[in-house]
Amino acid sequence: MLYHSMIFKLAWRNIFRNKRRSLITISSIIFAVIFSVLMRSLQHGAYDNMLKNIVGNYQGYVQVHYKGFWDEKTIDNSFYIHDLDTLERNKYIQYINPRIEGYALASFKKESKPVIVLGIDLAKERHTIQLQNKVIKGSFIQENEEGIIIGKGLQKIMNLQINDSLVFLSQGYQGSLASGIYPVVGIIDLKTPELNKRTVIMNLNQTQTFFGLENMATTAVIGPVNGDWEKAEFELNQVLDTQNLEVMNWQEMLPELKQLITVDRAGGTFVLIILYSILTFSLFGTVLMLAEERNFEFGVLIALGMAKSKIIQTTILETLIMALVGVLSGLIITLPIVIYFNIFPINLSGQMQEVVEQFGFEALLPTSLDPKISLTQAAIVFLIVLLVNSYSIIKIRRINPTKAMRS
Amino acid sequence: MIYIQNISKTYQSGIIQVKALQNINLTIKKGEFTAIVGPSGSGKTTLLNLIGGLDSPSHGIIKIDQTDITSLPENDLIDFRLHHIGFVFQSYNLIPVLTAKENVEFLMLLQKKEEDQRNERTIQLLKAVGLENQIHKKPNEMSGGQQQRVAVARALASKPDFILADEPTANLDSSSAENLLDIMFKLNQKEKMTFIFSTHDSRVIAKAQRIITIDDGQIINDYYR
Repeated sequence: MLYHSMIFKLAWRNIFRNKRRSLITISSIIFAVIFSVLMRSLQHGAYDNMLKNIVGNYQGYVQVHYKGFWDEKTIDNSFYIHDLDTLERNKYIQYINPRIEGYALASFKKESKPVIVLGIDLAKERHTIQLQNKVIKGSFIQENEEGIIIGKGLQKIMNLQINDSLVFLSQGYQGSLASGIYPVVGIIDLKTPELNKRTVIMNLNQTQTFFGLENMATTAVIGPVNGDWEKAEFELNQVLDTQNLEVMNWQEMLPELKQLITVDRAGGTFVLIILYSILTFSLFGTVLMLAEERNFEFGVLIALGMAKSKIIQTTILETLIMALVGVLSGLIITLPIVIYFNIFPINLSGQMQEVVEQFGFEALLPTSLDPKISLTQAAIVFLIVLLVNSYSIIKIRRINPTKAMRS
Repeated sequence: MIYIQNISKTYQSGIIQVKALQNINLTIKKGEFTAIVGPSGSGKTTLLNLIGGLDSPSHGIIKIDQTDITSLPENDLIDFRLHHIGFVFQSYNLIPVLTAKENVEFLMLLQKKEEDQRNERTIQLLKAVGLENQIHKKPNEMSGGQQQRVAVARALASKPDFILADEPTANLDSSSAENLLDIMFKLNQKEKMTFIFSTHDSRVIAKAQRIITIDDGQIINDYYR
């Protein structure tokens, strides 16, 4: 123990031998941690936001459809809701929200627009997807109410107000004619411009009546326990009749989103590799100078009887202390920034906003508070420190004390 | 006891082979106060390095008591030096970030000695070299003479079988050199500690009990006084 305290004392005091160099090394680590954590937090925050808006708050991470519905979204590809009864009380599934997703032509005065008619089970969705929290004007539909909620984009395009009535015309189940007139009771912000422009939300019962789909649904949104959609998906494939039903995860339903995240993540990784390379060379410079400057001293220590492994321990400890100070300082500086931008996300404006919204995403960049991001970046920096130290390990292993003391 | 049997050391300097030592045979007994003298480049330091296991001979054997140090693996040799050999260098070579006390204590820590034992010996040695009031000073806060005395205390701390001193007085002023030599001589007399010096210094030669003269890598004179 005392021996180890001496190793620590040597390492600690050596840091103060060349204060300026230690400061530069620690500063480069701090910079790398701040930059990498902020960058990754922004990236992951943006992905989380996209997923939350499109997947978590609307589409769900896993869906069940009648086989073929995803490729051919017609009302005829519907299934009976009781086909999902086997999923009740499954330990991997938190909720099952049956929905009807159909298309209709909506008309108001002289304006007509194709819209997505989304029929939801109010009682179930109130506690899960919680669309009611996104209503920005008017109120959310009540059970058995004959009203509709429209996206804020559609409201703007068609210049609709609360209590205005929209006329719907569509094809119902098995070629029947579907038509109806419904009053607007609320306006919703689905956080995704594309959805806001096209979505009309109704009571599931009302939608079933509209399309002639008694006791049927086109879609069931599955809520996985603890967000573990992979387990839930696996379970669904085991339990359900997959001859007639299809189970799809968000990556299959939204391949563009997955691809976008993959490509963006790869870009981020590339930038981080450049950053880590700069850090590696900066740290390598420190280790190189440290090994060269102390070559004589190492020779003396070996001559006196200090094992090379102990000298290696001291130099590694020295760089690890600097890395620890750098990483912790970096994280302490970054944490309030990450929290701030999580609460007050960066609001993209101008051309950037247009580009992002064209892809159907909200032009907001919140940071992610996932502790894994900070821990991963800290671990990478530590790995770089260990990697760079391999030079001093090789150098010390090769020291010949007489040559070193002549240097 | 140190046995040196038919030692030779050849260096390669570019395309030229330099014969630093040739066929050296020597025995140094416990308690001797020996000076190895000779002109610069004669091979004094090379011989001292070979005895200390810091370098390996091209030919021959060096035995310290029963251990053939020329055949020891590197790690064992380092450990052997830690327990059996003390070094005093020309430029002191103290660890700059440690105090006088910590420098002396350092080798005992490597030997994993108990704290009480270390403290007692450190204070005793620093007293013996007249530095009991300087124990918390770092090397850069001490004079050359003081640093070399700390180096002597450090060399003795590990209770070695013998001490190798390479030009220990070369960087010291006259009074510091005299003072250091007195300390080492007293230790030799009192504790029967073996000292082997490589030196040009006439003051060291004057105190030495045995003088070995080397020239061109060969012993040309070896006598006791």
